[in-house]
Amino acid sequence: MAGLFGDGAVRSAREIGADGGVLSDEDLFPVLPALRDLLPHGALQRGSVVSASGWNLLCLALAAGPVLAGAWCTIAGIPEFGVAAAADAGVDPARLLLVPDLGPNWPQVVASLLDGCELVVLRPPDRPAAHLRRKLEAAVRRYRAVLLVAGDWEGSQVRLRIAEQEWAGIGAGHGRLRARLAQVVADGRGGWSRSRGRWLWLPGPDGAIASADDDAAPMAGWPGLPRAGTG
Amino acid sequence: MTGAQDRQRRVVVVRCPAWRPSSQETGQPDGPAARAFERVVSAVEEFCPRIEVLRPGICAFGARGPARYFDGEPALARKVAEAVAGLGYECGVGIADGLFAALLASRDGLPGPRQAPSAGAWPPERPGTQRLDTGRPDTGRLDSGRSDTGRLDTGPVRIVPPGGTPAYLATRSVTVLGEPELADLLVRLGIRTLGEFAAVPVSQVGNRFGEQGLLAHRLSRGLDPRPLVARPPAADLSVRAEFDPPAEQSERAVFAAKALAGRMHALLAASGLACVRVQVQVVCHDGTEITRLWRHDGLLSEFAVAERVRWQLDGWESGAGSAGTPGPGGSGGPGEDGIQGGGISLLRLSPDQLVRDQGRQLGLWGDAVVSDRVARAAVRVQAMLGHDAVRQPMLAGGRGPADQAVLVPFGDLPPTWPAPDGQPPGQPGVRPLDRPWPGRIPPPAPAAVYPVPRPARVIDGSGAPVTVTGRGHVSAEPARLSVAGALPLAITAWTGPWPVTERWWDPAHACRKARFQLVTADGGAWLAFVKDGQWLIEASYD
Repeated sequence: MAGLFGDGAVRSAREIGADGGVLSDEDLFPVLPALRDLLPHGALQRGSVVSASGWNLLCLALAAGPVLAGAWCTIAGIPEFGVAAAADAGVDPARLLLVPDLGPNWPQVVASLLDGCELVVLRPPDRPAAHLRRKLEAAVRRYRAVLLVAGDWEGSQVRLRIAEQEWAGIGAGHGRLRARLAQVVADGRGGWSRSRGRWLWLPGPDGAIASADDDAAPMAGWPGLPRAGTG
Repeated sequence: MTGAQDRQRRVVVVRCPAWRPSSQETGQPDGPAARAFERVVSAVEEFCPRIEVLRPGICAFGARGPARYFDGEPALARKVAEAVAGLGYECGVGIADGLFAALLASRDGLPGPRQAPSAGAWPPERPGTQRLDTGRPDTGRLDSGRSDTGRLDTGPVRIVPPGGTPAYLATRSVTVLGEPELADLLVRLGIRTLGEFAAVPVSQVGNRFGEQGLLAHRLSRGLDPRPLVARPPAADLSVRAEFDPPAEQSERAVFAAKALAGRMHALLAASGLACVRVQVQVVCHDGTEITRLWRHDGLLSEFAVAERVRWQLDGWESGAGSAGTPGPGGSGGPGEDGIQGGGISLLRLSPDQLVRDQGRQLGLWGDAVVSDRVARAAVRVQAMLGHDAVRQPMLAGGRGPADQAVLVPFGDLPPTWPAPDGQPPGQPGVRPLDRPWPGRIPPPAPAAVYPVPRPARVIDGSGAPVTVTGRGHVSAEPARLSVAGALPLAITAWTGPWPVTERWWDPAHACRKARFQLVTADGGAWLAFVKDGQWLIEASYD
């Protein structure tokens, strides 16, 4: 099984670099191949703000690419961050800083973190005032970092969310959670204003995060997994 | 130090068997035992200001000056032994030419039938009881009184006369070298004593036994493998800056700290040393003083040291402003009026726990090097929110999702395992990953693991709460889930119960629960458990 689904998943930064050649462009952070179609330039752009709908595996998958490529990442304001899930997604825990509680003066804390880490995953404790939001966006640009917001952010370049999802492997009183098919929808500003969706294994039966657009056949083997639709 | 090679120095070694080497190897680098030895060191410091602590439990100093002052080596040794016994610790004092012989002599000095034990098999008695009752002054006097009447001349003191070291060592077994492999080889070659080993020509030793053998050979001949690196008195490698007029703003002190750290690092590098910790002492104009120790490990840049000074000052100021702010770990009470109370008049950085500089060490966790930039940001945030606010995750073994990671405050060493028995809950050690942990939750791992499980309600089709019997049967199919008081959601798929019984042998930590995986109509997937009839959500697979 691993062979079937593992092809699209990425295992190391080297593979990302060799595959897409995006590492050469220093304005971009590579992402997992499954997420490339959902992002402008197929990568996370330095100095940009990307938001996902709350803390979930999608958010983790977005963070995985840059960390695999050697970036340091801070998980800010997310006390329930699942370390084991991050490690399964290929994130080296030794490259993570966790700041579970940001305190009342959180924009200043986040600005300090942006200075040190190329990637900050943030769930804002409250809705920031417009001037604080613009200040943080300026800090993101100044430090050439990426702010990945697990929640709403008005000025984000791209918004990603899970529109539909279906778990496989679990029934009524039997089996266990094995895999999830999720339709991820991205929309944003500018040329990205038209929303687009992709079906992803989030995660796949082998634990990898991979594109599910192409393989219809393997799903027959998984009980309780009706094909919900195509992307 | 200098000039130690021409003639072997007379060395005094004070050995307290209460601190065992094994507790150092397995344990905490600055645990209570190691810190308690500071009392002994300061008692010995009364006789000679330059003490080298070899490890907690053993310290050494040059004998020549103090012996002249205290009227001869026997008198000096007796006084030292009395001073240490006065603190309530058993000790042996050895004096000989060179450190190695003095170490062996100090071992001889210990009471009891302990002839040349190997380094690892150190006396089994624990310091606990002795330390406890002699910690009070009256019993301490009793203890030293007993020593006075008895065996001080013969007992705890062993003096090898000047020039007598080779003869003293000659009859010792090669095992005392503390190199089991080499000793094994030597014995098989028919070389059983240090005297026989010393008779082998140096060139032959170098050819056959390499660097390690040469070192052992030097020891056998009564030579020191290295000159005694004296533990410098506090002022030796420390650097200080005075402010006149006193610095009203912390910025000025922090700025000076950067330059000071550079000077301290240059001093350390010039002596080939690195420090495990750095002590930052801030003295105010009105005499208030805050002193804190920061872990250094030879890893901190000048900037990082300066940041720690800033952190210390900021923690102090905010501690003065709002008493609730937790100061970073360490002693030193916050002053009432902060820097405004007169300004900083003195800043001193002292390297603590000197070690030989082994070059720059890689990161403590995995092979990722904590870059200066990341460390700076982390420390700055620690300055704002407290030491525990910034953490680094480590994977750990365990059954539940919360057990599978340990969060270590940035800059700290990971906690050791096994420790949960003695430790308060909430500070678990890093359980090993390579054990099977039967009954652990199956993959995939949940993306969200709640630090505190969220209360939930699970009801069946008729609206009654779902329960699990003692035999692991579910009362009815779960139909609806409500997490933390939110609107109930229909359960579309579920599995369980997976019974877990952990630490049943330990009533205080025993835990019996049944796990479930639940999928709700909105597509969410949850890891829940039932404990004592209460449903709790411990993780979400979102």
